[in-house]
Amino acid sequence: MIWRFGLFDSTFEPLASTHWALLAALGLPLLLGLFAALFSPKRALPVALASLPVLASGVVLLAAFEQAGLLRWQWEIAGIHLSLRLNGLSVLLLLMTQVIGVAAALYTPGYLRLSETGPLARWLWPLMGVVLSALSLIWLATDLLTLYIALELMGLAAVGMLMLSGKVPAIVAGMRYLLLALVGSLTYLLGVALILGHWGRLDLQGLAEVIEPGPVAWFAAALIGAGLALKAALFPLHAWLTPVHENAWTPVSALHAALVIKASLFMLLQLWSILLPETFYAPRVIAWLGMLAIVWGGLLAWRTDSLKTLVASSTVAQLGYLMVAFPLLLGPDIAPLPRALAWEGFWLQLMGHAFAKAAMFMAAGNLILATGESTLKGLAGTSRRLPLSLLVFGIASITLMGLPPSAGFTAKWMLLQAMIITQQWWAVAALLTGTLLTAAYVFRMFRYSFDETAPRHRYQPLAPGMDMIALTLALIAFALGLLAHYPLELMHGGSP
Amino acid sequence: MIASFDAIAALDVIEVVLALCLTGSALVCLFDRHLVRACCFFLAFAVSMTLAWWQLGAPWLATAELLLGVMLTGPCFFYALGHLSPGASSPLKHDTFNEPWSRVAMRVVLALAWFVMVGAAIRYVIADMVYSPSEHPLLLAGVVIAASALGAFALHRHLLRRLLAFNILGSGVFMLLAGVAGTSAAAQALISVGLLVAWLGSMLGALLIRQLLHLEGVEALGRDGALKERTT
Amino acid sequence: MNAAWLPLTALATSLLVVVIIFALPEEARRLRTTINLVAAVVKIILVMLMVRRVAAGHEDIFSFQVIGGVDFVLRSDALGVMFAGLSSLLWLCTTVYAIGYLEGSANRKRFFGFFSLCVASTIGIALADNLFTFLIFYEMLTLSTYPLVVHNGTQKALDAGRVYLRYTLSAGVVLLLGAVLLYTLTGDQSFSSEEGLGDYLNDHRGLLTLIFALLVGGLAVKAAMVPLHGWLPRAMVAPAPVSALLHAVAVVKAGAFGILRVVYDLFGIELSVELGVITVLAVAASITIIYGSLRAIAQEELKPRLAFSTVSQVSYVILGIGIFGPFGTVGALAHLLHQGLMKVTLFFCAGNYAEELGIHRIDEMDGAGKRMPLTSIAFTIGALGMIGLPPVAGFITKWYLGVGAIQAGMYWIVAVLVASSTLNAIYFLPIVHRLWFRLGPSHGKGSWPKEQRLGRLETHGWLLWPMVFTALVSLGAGLFAGLPFSPLDWAARVANGEYLP
Repeated sequence: MIWRFGLFDSTFEPLASTHWALLAALGLPLLLGLFAALFSPKRALPVALASLPVLASGVVLLAAFEQAGLLRWQWEIAGIHLSLRLNGLSVLLLLMTQVIGVAAALYTPGYLRLSETGPLARWLWPLMGVVLSALSLIWLATDLLTLYIALELMGLAAVGMLMLSGKVPAIVAGMRYLLLALVGSLTYLLGVALILGHWGRLDLQGLAEVIEPGPVAWFAAALIGAGLALKAALFPLHAWLTPVHENAWTPVSALHAALVIKASLFMLLQLWSILLPETFYAPRVIAWLGMLAIVWGGLLAWRTDSLKTLVASSTVAQLGYLMVAFPLLLGPDIAPLPRALAWEGFWLQLMGHAFAKAAMFMAAGNLILATGESTLKGLAGTSRRLPLSLLVFGIASITLMGLPPSAGFTAKWMLLQAMIITQQWWAVAALLTGTLLTAAYVFRMFRYSFDETAPRHRYQPLAPGMDMIALTLALIAFALGLLAHYPLELMHGGSP
Repeated sequence: MIASFDAIAALDVIEVVLALCLTGSALVCLFDRHLVRACCFFLAFAVSMTLAWWQLGAPWLATAELLLGVMLTGPCFFYALGHLSPGASSPLKHDTFNEPWSRVAMRVVLALAWFVMVGAAIRYVIADMVYSPSEHPLLLAGVVIAASALGAFALHRHLLRRLLAFNILGSGVFMLLAGVAGTSAAAQALISVGLLVAWLGSMLGALLIRQLLHLEGVEALGRDGALKERTT
Repeated sequence: MNAAWLPLTALATSLLVVVIIFALPEEARRLRTTINLVAAVVKIILVMLMVRRVAAGHEDIFSFQVIGGVDFVLRSDALGVMFAGLSSLLWLCTTVYAIGYLEGSANRKRFFGFFSLCVASTIGIALADNLFTFLIFYEMLTLSTYPLVVHNGTQKALDAGRVYLRYTLSAGVVLLLGAVLLYTLTGDQSFSSEEGLGDYLNDHRGLLTLIFALLVGGLAVKAAMVPLHGWLPRAMVAPAPVSALLHAVAVVKAGAFGILRVVYDLFGIELSVELGVITVLAVAASITIIYGSLRAIAQEELKPRLAFSTVSQVSYVILGIGIFGPFGTVGALAHLLHQGLMKVTLFFCAGNYAEELGIHRIDEMDGAGKRMPLTSIAFTIGALGMIGLPPVAGFITKWYLGVGAIQAGMYWIVAVLVASSTLNAIYFLPIVHRLWFRLGPSHGKGSWPKEQRLGRLETHGWLLWPMVFTALVSLGAGLFAGLPFSPLDWAARVANGEYLP
């Protein structure tokens, strides 16, 4: 497992251009965000121009990885070791972050113009920049201190973003999220304290070599796991998620559900694969919770009347798919083939869900913005007037349902294959049930939208491109299904 | 008997006093319904923390605590109370929210369980702590503070008090961290980041509390997200 | 020489049409019509090219790797090309018909977009060379049909859509499980591989049977086999072209075609016989045939009667599989085409009666032959074909099935065929009788429910000519069955490939 996270020595030193690309990938989002706070852009074009260098930095890093394999950076400042690594997985996640981040940023000017956002809108840009920079750092960092800093930056900025709408329910929900996130990070910190106290180091590569299973590792894993699970909204710690999304601005919801939650999950898996390699019970517990999450999240989404709650609850269920794969990734005595399948399926599912969920939030936001209604019933008859938004919603939901040819399908195929090889029939059942539940709640929404007997309302026209951005994201999630070979190949690359 | 006296005699008097100060101010801050007094005691707590870091031989941390804890985080609470901005409409005085007894009991049990777990972890799991709890009462204070703060955090519904509880919990955790890992550069860095985060979080929280007060009045501060969902 | 572009282009034409139609505004009616028709003609030409290449012994393959051990493969083989030919031919007819039928109604962009997607899926199903690829297009078909079923947006249509999804998506999950189990057992298994799964028989007999049950069970829902047929009659609320497409080509045939693929190309007929699943299939098909016919008799409206007739008729294909022997196979394959042609004719007729005269119930059809002679002649041809009277195409099928059953010594199947033909006659002949020999509104007795004069001829030209064409083709497929490239000839070619190594 450890080598999959790229925790080994690199063969080559990074080139000068790679240093610059790294700096740009980490720093540019933040800088651009601050810049945008001063001159808030009114159209998508300047945003598009500004985001070009960010995307370019990602591409340069990708090229560097393809050329040289794993790359590492290490610094020592006042006795503190900081280190970064760039492996296939982190390149992929970085690119994903940049694409979704840029899409959200492009979506923002139109959204802010059309909805009454109030004076706080200006703050959205720097917060978005912080979140994106922190996310990039999380994918790259390989020591617990950097990870902690990035996690906290991301968490605080995310809370800030979610509450910008300034409505009372948003603030109440956001306050709750803030307090829980802060306590979650203290729990994480306590786990880190145990690690630091017992093994006296914070760099993951070194820890991977010295850590042996024992009570300390278990306690640390439990504390870190609890803290991160709270931040990742893993079932049953998900209750804060839906109210927060219910009232947030669309681009913020998209970023949060697609990326921020995933970052905690990524850290959880990475740290557990160091602390608890080949453990039987802990991943099992996660998997059982995951099964419950699939069913519970699906039922929540099925019963709700609010479109945004539907989309947010489906995140809970979709995270369940990822949790169910934990025993395959961390459990003992898993043969190499199912483990490789589960590993690829896990990340493909994560990426597919990220793109699809971002697209879905944008599509839902478009529908709500255009109709002025946020309930499912209010969408009656939208299929005639807003076909494109609905189509985007549809394409995104195909990925969520895991129907072909989307990324969700390919990922589910791989996970199912791994589960069948290891004979985890409960997990198979959970995955298949999840498909049907997702279909149930998604088509409930479509049922309303296809209703032709509903009265006609006046619709607010959307800004140009708002649908196209969402469509692009949805199509990426779609294309990842059939073109999965290249990204998955990338994750293999650079193995020692 | 004599052995225990020896043990007590071995303790640094200053440290004992500090530990008592910390625990005392933390408990008042956590459980006093008079909000202004609670905030004042939070300042006292932060000052004792500064001294405690000094005592543990971490001047950098002491500086950070003084700067971030006393000078930046403290005023956040007074701002949230409405004592800093002159035009603030309604200064907060008392926490008047009440919880049903069943809920209180459950939360207390949870906090106790946590306390026992952390205590056991420290007692049995880590044999080679840098600062042993039997020599450093500050560590014991850390455990007590963390546990009672967690209990308070779970118990209170008033947002300001939850925010206070989080801050105290943070300090308790930092104290534990220092006890477990010593005051190496890495530990100091972790704690400093934690202090910074606590300040930022408190500032954000204070802003939100003010905003809520402005929009909805005092009642909004006791509203739990889950409860709200049920009522609407 | 491998012309990889050929299967890919055949698929891409319809997918491209989907994109273009969705990109065009709702009002661009003429342009949309032109694109639809041009694409349909281009597709027919491409499929004809493929037919020629297959006849010359080339099987074009397009493939790329999706994940390790799983490829996306399109291959034009004889069986696939047969289905592709059917779907592209009927797509042209149905498109023409739909243009006329939906004249002036709302949401045409959505309709034609998903209509094209539906057909693209059937082409994909036809050309898929492994289970993974097949599954992709099979589910795509499910999804693209839903908007067509609920097209009218009425409460009834929405309910029908829900029932449809319940059946098909559950079936999709079952199918997925079967497919993954198979891949776990054998790895990527091409439909064209010669060895089949015989090697696994000794060690994994139970697992193989389970996989077969899952796969066929999942496919049987779309093939509307009893008791999994519940969605089909309900889906009748859709507009007539959709019903025609659902019932004649796309959905039910996709299910039947899938079962053909699983039995002949995946498991191999010997292995299927060895597992003992073939007989089960034949029995299930017989039950469906009799049950569907009985239910059809009980229907008083035209479209539901046709729907239950479909339930019954599609299972002839399955029955043909169940008869072990080349004649049974030829019958099954030929019926795939023949039933499509005849059923689409019947649905076009039903649509015309409904549009022109407002007829929905069977007892309203008295004397319609005088008012709409061409439609009624077409209907009569279709009905006679369904009963299995010569010289219409349906006769050929039943003849081959009967001969095959006798050769295989399965005499009870002959009894089923006789019983079914009798039942077919019982529910079709009264309609024909009403059309021609009863006096009705056109003889001055009563009036039509809702008469419209849609065109100079008996109805709108767009509605009339596709129907006339398919009726003629159904007749021709029976009359000229002996000519090369006739459905029967091609079916015999496919069957030869299956039985003669």
